[in-house]
Amino acid sequence: MDVSGLVDTATGRQSRTIYSSEELYKQELERIFARCWLFLVHTSQIPKAGDYFRTFMGEDDVIVIRQKDGSIKAFLNSCTHRGNRICRADRGNAKAFTCNYHGWSFAPDGSLAGVPLENEAYFGELDRSKLGLVPVTHVAEYNGLVFGCFDPDAPSLEDYLGDAKFFLDVWLDAMPGGTSLVGETQKMVLGSNWKLPVENVCGDGYHLGWAHAGAMMAVQSLDLSGLSVGNSSADLDGGLSVAGMNGHMALTALDGVSGYAFYPDPKPMLDYLEANRPEVIERLGKVRGEQLWGSQINITIFPNLQFLPGLNWFRVYHPKGPGQIEQWTWAMVENDMPEEVQATILDNQCLTFGLAGLFDNDDGDNLAACTEQSRGWRTAQMDVFTNMALGRSGPREGFPGDIAAGLVSEHNQRYFYRRWQEHMQAESWAEVPTYNINPLSAQETVDA
Amino acid sequence: MHELSPAPVPVDVLNTLTQRLYHEARLLDAERFEDWLELLCDDVGYRMELKRRRFRADRSPPAAVGVGVVFNETLARLKLRIDRLRSGFVWAEDPPNFVRRVVSNVEVEPADAENEAIVHSVIVIHRNRIDGLTRVFTAGRTDRWRHGKQGWCLAARDIALDHAVLHDSNINVFF
Repeated sequence: MDVSGLVDTATGRQSRTIYSSEELYKQELERIFARCWLFLVHTSQIPKAGDYFRTFMGEDDVIVIRQKDGSIKAFLNSCTHRGNRICRADRGNAKAFTCNYHGWSFAPDGSLAGVPLENEAYFGELDRSKLGLVPVTHVAEYNGLVFGCFDPDAPSLEDYLGDAKFFLDVWLDAMPGGTSLVGETQKMVLGSNWKLPVENVCGDGYHLGWAHAGAMMAVQSLDLSGLSVGNSSADLDGGLSVAGMNGHMALTALDGVSGYAFYPDPKPMLDYLEANRPEVIERLGKVRGEQLWGSQINITIFPNLQFLPGLNWFRVYHPKGPGQIEQWTWAMVENDMPEEVQATILDNQCLTFGLAGLFDNDDGDNLAACTEQSRGWRTAQMDVFTNMALGRSGPREGFPGDIAAGLVSEHNQRYFYRRWQEHMQAESWAEVPTYNINPLSAQETVDA
Repeated sequence: MHELSPAPVPVDVLNTLTQRLYHEARLLDAERFEDWLELLCDDVGYRMELKRRRFRADRSPPAAVGVGVVFNETLARLKLRIDRLRSGFVWAEDPPNFVRRVVSNVEVEPADAENEAIVHSVIVIHRNRIDGLTRVFTAGRTDRWRHGKQGWCLAARDIALDHAVLHDSNINVFF
């Protein structure tokens, strides 16, 4: 289906049908979820051989398994005999996965290890070597984040991430001990199209002061650092909306502490930041060490991964049809943090952006209603707009990307829909443009 | 465990605590949050841990930092949540939703402390929110109630939510 008229990034317009059309959704599963690198697991979640984690790539159920040699493989969670799901646990450690239906058993390397009555019923004629679990052919890791991709023509993960790595490393590579995702998976079903939460987090500082006004007022008595609160809580000047990095985005404050603004007692976190800032400056340079590490940063990896160092939540959205998603959230920590700081982060992430999160609980109904209001005969023909601060972006020394000043603009959302359109129009990866606007590599003063 | 031969609790204690649970449910249904807070001890612990779904024979160790929570509240944090709900800016609760709690399976047994009792119960929270959207949460609760000068107050509540995936966009309710 031709989507050239459904999104206009020059004027900031989207047709509402992109949130409700079954036909477009099927095209998204093929051209976005089966084509892009999708987040599977953090290495910390499957540290030992036999550790596994179940997730989804689009609507395909996938098991990610740590191998004996330490490598990570991913397979479709589906028996090669009759198709049944072979694993119904969220995660764990296993020596084998045995299908509930007829008892076929698969080893962690995906090979078909056992078939009941193999000789008696199949007369020894079954070629087990051809009936192993179907692998996700491309699995790659970037600093602890493991991604999978179904498309053999996709660029390497490094190239796919492009200049977004500049922001990714503010969490992933700030400290030498690396990072972890902690806690069980916080799972929530929302009646939302998958693009709406991505759009909300990738660039929408605008909704903060109104949609979350109740939570902002409630935490007003707390010791907030870096972010002011009130009816227009988001800082209009002290941040950047960064896009134009292969469809990835960052929305970042520049104060180095505001990530911990919603912590009832931020002092242990702020102490940790100040104690380790010299080392982070050494590792990442002054711009990132002083201005980004510790700041409120929303990072979006196209299409469905978002994480916020500082507030320390990490999230993927699994599409379940055009009007439904499963939202999965974890708390994220640096391994060099003292254990009590990690425990506080987990607790605070659950308080603010968990299943009963003071802030998170404000968003779901809005996103669901935007989805529902694109389903009617008339509403499906209508448009919605992301036209705030059009044409007010450019380069900024020391940063990659096309950058609009401030946390309140719709600059990033326009780039998100631009990427969506580029993928949806392209027949194959060869037709998908690659761009890292204002690359750091072309700047004379690089992060010094 | 007292499962096989539960030590008897006086009938009036059983009655009083059962009535407390029903009363609590009615206060919360009516959003009488301040009255509800009066039933809580100053050192109340109010917890709901995240759910795990593992094979029975799973060999993996417990989570290093913790499983994470839905609620891990002190009295101050419960007040914080109530401040949010009372702010007039929680749009998901305006117009008010139709919320009804059903409390059942009440069992009372003695606690280690003489002035405390353990109370098991089941709670079902029915919510009718937007047009026809109806959601039901089911949870088991294990409480510790303490008897003091003001009568019985809730000292601790552990809530086991029976949903691995939350089928609603918020939990703007207390269990």
